[in-house]
Amino acid sequence: MPRSGKLVRISLVAAAAAAVAVVAVMAAGTASAKTTSSSVSGAGSTFVAPLVTAWMGPAKSALGITLSYNPVGSGGGVSAITNKQVDFGASDAPLSQFSPTCTTCVQVPWALAATAVIYNLQGLQFLHMTGSVLGKIYLGKITKWNASAIKKLNPGRSLPNKSITVVHRSDSSGTTFNFTDYLSHVSSSWKSKVGSGTAVNWPTGEGEGHSSGVAGAVRSTPGAIGYVDVDYAVVNHLGYFKMKNRAGNFVVPKLKGILAAAQLDTHPKKDGSLSIVNPPKSRKYRNAYPISTYTYIDVQKTSSNAGALKKLIGWAITKGDSKYGPKLFFAPLPKAVVKFDKKQLKKIHS
Amino acid sequence: MSSLDVTTDAARRPFPGRRARLGDLVLQGSAGIAALGALVLVGLIAWKVVQGARLSISTFGLGFVTHVGWDPVHLKFGAGSFLFGTAVTSIAALILATPIALGIALFLSELAPRGLRGPITALVETLAAIPSVVIGLWGLIVLAPILRDHVDPALHSALGFIPLFGPPGSYGSNVFTAIVVLTIMILPIIASISRELFLSVPSELKEGALGLGTTRWEMVRGVAFPYARGGVAAAMILGFGRAIGEAIAVGLTIGSATAINANLFKPGSTLAAMIANNYQGASSGLELSSLIYLALILLVFSILVNLLAQWIVRRAARRQGLMAR
Amino acid sequence: MRTGDLSVLQRPNDRLRRRRVANRGMELLAWLAAAVAVFFLGVVVWSVAQRGASQLSFDFLTKPQQASGGFGPLNVKQGLANAFAGSFVIVGLATAMALPFGILIAIYVNEFASRLVRSAVGLTLDVLNGVPAIVIGFFVFGLIVVAHGQSAYAGAFALAVIMLPLVARSTIEVLALVPDSLREAALAVGAPRWRTTLGIVLPQTIGGVLTGATLAVARVAGETAPLLFTSSLVATGTHWNPSQALQTVPVAIFELSDSADPADHARAWAAALVLILFILFASLGARWLATRSRRKIARAAG
Repeated sequence: MPRSGKLVRISLVAAAAAAVAVVAVMAAGTASAKTTSSSVSGAGSTFVAPLVTAWMGPAKSALGITLSYNPVGSGGGVSAITNKQVDFGASDAPLSQFSPTCTTCVQVPWALAATAVIYNLQGLQFLHMTGSVLGKIYLGKITKWNASAIKKLNPGRSLPNKSITVVHRSDSSGTTFNFTDYLSHVSSSWKSKVGSGTAVNWPTGEGEGHSSGVAGAVRSTPGAIGYVDVDYAVVNHLGYFKMKNRAGNFVVPKLKGILAAAQLDTHPKKDGSLSIVNPPKSRKYRNAYPISTYTYIDVQKTSSNAGALKKLIGWAITKGDSKYGPKLFFAPLPKAVVKFDKKQLKKIHS
Repeated sequence: MSSLDVTTDAARRPFPGRRARLGDLVLQGSAGIAALGALVLVGLIAWKVVQGARLSISTFGLGFVTHVGWDPVHLKFGAGSFLFGTAVTSIAALILATPIALGIALFLSELAPRGLRGPITALVETLAAIPSVVIGLWGLIVLAPILRDHVDPALHSALGFIPLFGPPGSYGSNVFTAIVVLTIMILPIIASISRELFLSVPSELKEGALGLGTTRWEMVRGVAFPYARGGVAAAMILGFGRAIGEAIAVGLTIGSATAINANLFKPGSTLAAMIANNYQGASSGLELSSLIYLALILLVFSILVNLLAQWIVRRAARRQGLMAR
Repeated sequence: MRTGDLSVLQRPNDRLRRRRVANRGMELLAWLAAAVAVFFLGVVVWSVAQRGASQLSFDFLTKPQQASGGFGPLNVKQGLANAFAGSFVIVGLATAMALPFGILIAIYVNEFASRLVRSAVGLTLDVLNGVPAIVIGFFVFGLIVVAHGQSAYAGAFALAVIMLPLVARSTIEVLALVPDSLREAALAVGAPRWRTTLGIVLPQTIGGVLTGATLAVARVAGETAPLLFTSSLVATGTHWNPSQALQTVPVAIFELSDSADPADHARAWAAALVLILFILFASLGARWLATRSRRKIARAAG
């Protein structure tokens, strides 16, 4: 007969109890099923995350939809929707920027905002900056805050003799695409040396993950410079530059500047993408903020959750943007874009 | 014929009941499948990694290993900067951790008063048990600012003539911070293995030396160290293996830059940290495959390091077996 | 002091003094080394405890994360219950996967295998133990997640792969400790192999097996890298369903540490505190089990 020690008996009872617990948990779990028709899960851009999070409450109360969102970065969002791991992906860079990309997806521009160039210099608010000087900083050519190029843009401001700590994204980011797209437009040396993309070969600086990582790094490092969606700058009380547009004015990344830039392109291409970076010199764009961008939601054409998705996106591009956007510095979409979006939504079915 | 022969005979011929035979077969069969499963698992891991890296291997070949730079726009990738980062951080952490770990091991095996031995051993093992994400969090939020504001500038002004300790800049997350974090992580591994090795030195050898009039340090240097030398080397290599594979703690504190710098106070990256930070949103199939190529390089190194440690242990055990005779 | 006749005695005294000083010096360094270890452990644990304690509350343990994002006053996050639930499910499933597998491997190696097979399996286990967690994470990603999406099952499988060599190796060691006389006595009275192994040898080792299992659990409870690949895209709210991705404590800490919001950092510290306490508890439990089982086997052998 086996030596039935107390320990053996206790372990057998424990194992039985554990087995019962596991079965109970799994039963309870499967009862609350994975994605019911009233819950929608997404992943992607940290740029649009403040807005999507603001939508969670109203989506539940007004639409009955439980919205979940994982801000893993635009690249993560596109790969997640390509592999059908979520109901939707969110990205600030158009699908054409990624490869592999989701060839069976519908791309819908669903929000509109700006990338603020943030910096940490105590007491110096709203410094002036131009694209070409910014390019030189990120190329590592200008390394001190009191360099003559920066001083020339900001006469009368006392710039410290501090070195510039360059911060950029380390992950695949739509915000990076917007930022490097702008730099490629305004700096030919940036365009030839580095180019634009959701991740690039940064000549200098340290990399942080997600917009929150960049904001955090700039916030905790005096003399740092970075780029994030403007809402992150405001809620973290970070200074941001007034960027010079081609008309010669220094503009803040707020609604007026975004809407002025959005006039540049109101008719999305066939795949749904738009480009409103660095608008030209004419009077129409004198108040435009040059680093504005649309951000997209990507949905599989054939989705098991098509009904809830269409409901959610239809609400987002109208009420969602206009009611909850402005507080977070997201501009309401131009009517032509909303019209295009509604047509895109028809392509989604279950 | 002794009783022993009868029992071993019975062991070889199972009890001739059909139920017993079936039970034996089932047990041996399922256990054998499990053991085979382990072999299959290792093979599968290797295969999956090679398969994923195939695109990058066929595009870049072995030149990938030395190419420095990671350019997703122009689609040129290389492991050079990450291999450099992994080597620098792991070797530096090993150099810093080993003397401290040996000191701890000696303290716990020879010097500590009886009452302190238990608690401090428990302390060292608790340090080993702290998850890497917690040490990474601590390194990022507590350690990095202290190093940036106080230690880095002090080291630069004292040792600035060595290019390793160049001008600090204002980066808190840099190679030096990652080195300190790794040192803390591998310290307890080397310490606890070495401690057990020093405890296993036969007391006759130790007491013999002391009886001849050596001081304790001379006994350690002349008797305990040589006896435990193989095991200590293996412990160091195991610590090294842990350091090269550490993704999370290093990823949080090293600053994610792909340039190669002699200056320790600049941000850098390692194989494991690069994979962890970038796999999720690789913007191209080639970039994803290149990240997996990095994983393949890491896997090969980890296995080699591990096998090296095992071989050293086996060689030392054989030598000790001879010595004991 | 008269010089001449004492000069013979002075030389050995000088050397002896130098040796004693060297000895003293090394002893001090050893004390210093121990102090360094105590210092670092103390600093880390103190940081975690001090910064995390303020966030620790009943709400923290029972209410789920309200929203992910980590910025500004819009976030009303109070708790981390979804991470605790998910960690419980994933680590539990991993143990259920790894434990029987590891015990069977140990039984085969100890009771049935030839020397060649024994060293082959031993080598395999050592290699498996040396694979970095991030490579295992990527492996499970390629094997399961690409085809079927993320899930707690995938995460548990990744953790089980990490646990397997730990459980197998510790079970092998404990099985080897059981004296052969026990096995031969059973065989002599006619018990079949399987009955001997499962009914007599294995129960002797339960303590050691549990020790190994507990240590393996303590090890994987804090693993982050494999879960990033397999269980990171999670739905809001507390879920227990293993067929979807579940939030876990180490991944939550990793994500919260990324944020710019100090409130998020505080929550990360609190989660780290709970994690450390759990691991400490498990390690101490494992050590208590180990001493108990060692005493028991010694009694059986004697």
